[in-house]
Amino acid sequence: MKLNAAIVGIGNSSFGRGLPDSQLRLAATAFKNATADAGIERCDVDGLSIHLGWPIGVDYDRVAEAFGLEIRYVNQSWLHGRFVTNALQHAALAVCTGLANVIACVTAISFTRERGFLGGPGDIEGNREEGGTHGEAPPYGLTAPAGGAALAMQRYMHVFKATSEQLAAVPITLRQHAMLNPRAIMKEPLTLQAHQNARMVVDPLRLYDCCLISDGAVVVLVARSDRAKNMRQKPIRIAGMQGIRSGRDEFIFATRGLGINQQSGRASAPRDVDQEVFKSAGIERGDVQGFYTYDAFSPLVLFALERFGYCGAGEAASWVQRGRIALGGQLPVNTSGGLLSEAHVGGWNSICEMVRQLRGKAGPSQIADAAVLQWGTAWGDSVILTAGAGR
Amino acid sequence: MSSPNWPRPRIGPDNEPFWEGCRRHSLMLPTCADCGKAHLPPGPVCPYCLSDRIIWKEATGQGRVTSWTIVHKAWFPAFRDDIPYNVVQIELDEGPRLTSSLVGLSGRKPEIGQRVEVVFDDVDDALTLHRFRVLP
Repeated sequence: MKLNAAIVGIGNSSFGRGLPDSQLRLAATAFKNATADAGIERCDVDGLSIHLGWPIGVDYDRVAEAFGLEIRYVNQSWLHGRFVTNALQHAALAVCTGLANVIACVTAISFTRERGFLGGPGDIEGNREEGGTHGEAPPYGLTAPAGGAALAMQRYMHVFKATSEQLAAVPITLRQHAMLNPRAIMKEPLTLQAHQNARMVVDPLRLYDCCLISDGAVVVLVARSDRAKNMRQKPIRIAGMQGIRSGRDEFIFATRGLGINQQSGRASAPRDVDQEVFKSAGIERGDVQGFYTYDAFSPLVLFALERFGYCGAGEAASWVQRGRIALGGQLPVNTSGGLLSEAHVGGWNSICEMVRQLRGKAGPSQIADAAVLQWGTAWGDSVILTAGAGR
Repeated sequence: MSSPNWPRPRIGPDNEPFWEGCRRHSLMLPTCADCGKAHLPPGPVCPYCLSDRIIWKEATGQGRVTSWTIVHKAWFPAFRDDIPYNVVQIELDEGPRLTSSLVGLSGRKPEIGQRVEVVFDDVDDALTLHRFRVLP
């Protein structure tokens, strides 16, 4: 089957901390903005792909009921942030196979109201038999995704002699990006000194290595490319993709083989199968003009860059120095500020930014002549978006 | 350290022998009767050869630290007085890794590569946790 899907509309609510609105209200604002952006009516939307369900997000049935939709295809993942790529990929596959014409990918989050789920006694992910996906081990006080990111970074620092000062380049750069973005929550400059002086949360992760706990919604509309031609915006093509990786040599917040949980401890260069997204999109890695990733914690940016071969195993901590991942650098990363400094909308704030970039509407953050951008995560899934009919 | 609020492991059919072993102060590993390999976390089949023939064998209890963190945030009321506290991953000499904590560090940080040996901590009548001490 030929991948023939495009993003035809984007919309968001305001992003903030302690927003009084329900997730459903945030989603309604984003939904209206997205359909207006695409120039379509709500009756044109006949599919839903829900990234995060209740209780942090919204469930598909409540969305359909509350917005008066007639839905004939649904994909919904549970409350895990890691299914962001999955939600977009399912939408693309479903429009290509005719299961729906236009799918609204909906992510609506109230982390501040529901923060009890993010760690401690209410951390339901951690209460799975033998712990959560991020290595949560509640009987030992390890809870919340941050714990797994800390275990992985601690080992990475030991194996590759990386430092917290090097890691700081990630949140400092993304803060610079956020300062150009009026939607971003964090607008104060972040210095190396402030990063190093900030309180430790889970060693080696300091405060600014951890993403915002925020509220907001994003809706991304996906349609088959031929339908997209009749809509208001230039379609942004979903040019290639690869799925989430799992197995005994994988850990959600690490490169393959790093040595966390049951990983072998034999880190190696990515194999062809680890980077099939480039082939799927018909491009070379060198064609990618900007990289977007799920930066819930600073180390995840390093791990994602290594997974997709932008640098070798253990090299990312030095690779990200001296503006290389900043706007104007070799590979700008998360140009709207990401989860670390714009807002944590499950990564969809960055998907929206990719679309703005490829439309040439990213304002002061614009990457010159942006035509090929990659979304890729520390857990190995990816989507490549391109402007226009393809290249 | 005993507390009714202590976070409990979720115990099901696959991992019950492991936690029962801890209560008896034995570190038990699910081991394949066909290929001989031990695995963690406890599963219904051998992850290496998919055999159903899993037997439980007592581990040597020795291994080495492969990663660690120190938690500074008061996520759990039961841990509030212990902050900051360590959490480690241990690679047992049999191969599998598990998450635990080190005792007797007196404020020092764990170190990757440290040789360790299991000790048992009776939290209360229903729960015993494995922990590890650094070998001299």
